[in-house]
Amino acid sequence: MATTYRSLEIVPGETGYGRKYVWQAPVRLAHWINALAVTALFLTGLYIANPALAPNGEAANHFVMGTVREIHFVAGYALLFGFLLRIYCFYFGNNYSRSGFPFVWRKEWWADLRAQAMQYLRLERGHVHLGHNALAGLSYTFFVIFLGWCQILTGMALYSETNPGGFWDRLTGWVIPLLGGSYMVHLWHHTIAWSFVVFTIIHLYIVFFDSHQFRNGLITSIISGYKFYQKGDLDHDRWLS
Amino acid sequence: MSERLPSTYAVLEQHGVDRRTFFKYCTSLAAIMGLEASMVPKVMAAMETKPRIPVIWLHGLECTCCSESFIRSSHPIAQDIVLNMISLDYDDTLQAAAGEQVEEIRKKIMKDYKGQYLLAVEGNAPTRDGGVYCMVAGQSFLDILKETAADAKAIVAWGACASYGCVQNARPNPTGAEPVHKIITNKPIINVPGCPPISEVMTGVLAYILTFDQLPELDRTGRPKMFYGQRIHDKCYRRAFFDAGQFVETWDDEGARKGWCLYKMGCRGPMTYNSCPTVKWNAGTSFPIGSGHPCIGCSEPNFWDHGPFYERMADSVPLPGIEATPDQVGKTLAVLTGAGVTAHLASYWARRAGKRVAGKPVDPENTTGEVK
Repeated sequence: MATTYRSLEIVPGETGYGRKYVWQAPVRLAHWINALAVTALFLTGLYIANPALAPNGEAANHFVMGTVREIHFVAGYALLFGFLLRIYCFYFGNNYSRSGFPFVWRKEWWADLRAQAMQYLRLERGHVHLGHNALAGLSYTFFVIFLGWCQILTGMALYSETNPGGFWDRLTGWVIPLLGGSYMVHLWHHTIAWSFVVFTIIHLYIVFFDSHQFRNGLITSIISGYKFYQKGDLDHDRWLS
Repeated sequence: MSERLPSTYAVLEQHGVDRRTFFKYCTSLAAIMGLEASMVPKVMAAMETKPRIPVIWLHGLECTCCSESFIRSSHPIAQDIVLNMISLDYDDTLQAAAGEQVEEIRKKIMKDYKGQYLLAVEGNAPTRDGGVYCMVAGQSFLDILKETAADAKAIVAWGACASYGCVQNARPNPTGAEPVHKIITNKPIINVPGCPPISEVMTGVLAYILTFDQLPELDRTGRPKMFYGQRIHDKCYRRAFFDAGQFVETWDDEGARKGWCLYKMGCRGPMTYNSCPTVKWNAGTSFPIGSGHPCIGCSEPNFWDHGPFYERMADSVPLPGIEATPDQVGKTLAVLTGAGVTAHLASYWARRAGKRVAGKPVDPENTTGEVK
């Protein structure tokens, strides 16, 4: 767990902008798997819930719903493996791969959460974080990790219904009676799906906003892995140490 | 057991049934239970040697549709079950006796066959106000159920009422009706849901219990896997239209005439476990989807509470106090979020523009961090 914080390796005498490697390759990969998979899952999910296309002719010549479901399932598997990859990074990645966890039992974490929220609301700039700030970490933990796992669990439970007694039924079938039957699993799965739309709007806005404010290469950092910072403009993620 | 009841074969013999007919009977029974041909001798052995099971059949808060379904069973016919395989000693709806006589029989069976009899429950028990909303022979059904279940070997919960609660425990459940497994927790219970369950399923379950002297393999919600193991959707003869993406849009459109998938008409087939597409109803004549009607999911928990039968996923989000569908809630939240970030961006720009007008140019490098 990310409980230690290594001191920043700022070269003595360094001036202007510094460059720091923050996101390891598997983290960046997991991010883009998530982004693509969630987009595909949401769009195909909309069709599965309310199939608008209606091909004519013989059923044997078409496989529209079948294909859309197949894409949905493949994207679901991709999301699952992206999540597993990210879990691996949480334990074995670098200091910034690990950050984002809400350390609710640490005063520093709460202080940063409050400071970050107030900065956004009062349009104040604040300082650059190299890892996730507390608010970002909290939103990823809730929207992506918690609700993401909810979607994977309910999704795999629904997927398992086509193969009773199979692998996914044994692994996730318990979700169906827990939520009160297949209908309720469908309903939860469909409801939670919308939270990813809400998250994506907020997430895209904030990364563009922060990138504009700090000019720290935030958007490219999830491709290149590097963030920029200015000496003296760092907010240490103190709750990590 | 105070006296040994005759076996099924003994009773059949008394009725003049020959050996060959008995073979046929056992073979069809094995088939309805989904057993291999090699299991037929086991079924026959059970029929020849096992004593008939005494059954007490209680009727609580219900509509008797389970009994109506049961007496229409064709393989094996209900008459065989009722008269031969089981010893249906108490069923206040079907039996000829009435009044105190009937209640005497129930008490006698409970005493004579303590721990031996099978309790079949049709309907459920209202629990509010001491169970006064369902009284049988001056006693609340809640008490009768507890009293009769105490010495039963096992309990068969017939139908959606006894298994899940059905219409009487739909929101807001004014009488506090609860299914059997919520009231009786110390007995093996087999749920046979449906409104009503398929008659062949009912007789098949009883035949299995008699043949093997144990409950069939149950799923996570206590339903026999052999009849509730798969979704209607996965056995539906209209499945090809689902996969093709061809759906009925209105009751009288071209798709409806061509027998396309009823998914968009609210069909609960993809969420419902039952054997309607394979066993069918009324001696294998048809089933709802077969006659162009979507499945209403009658063998699933709380199917009355899941919005209109003819709309797909029209129920409110599963959160208290919100009467809106997931799509309505989701679109509203998305619009509000969009408005929120737009407002944030607008005020950010307005503030920068304001500073500029005030004669303090915004530093393009923005090196000190604050919006001054």
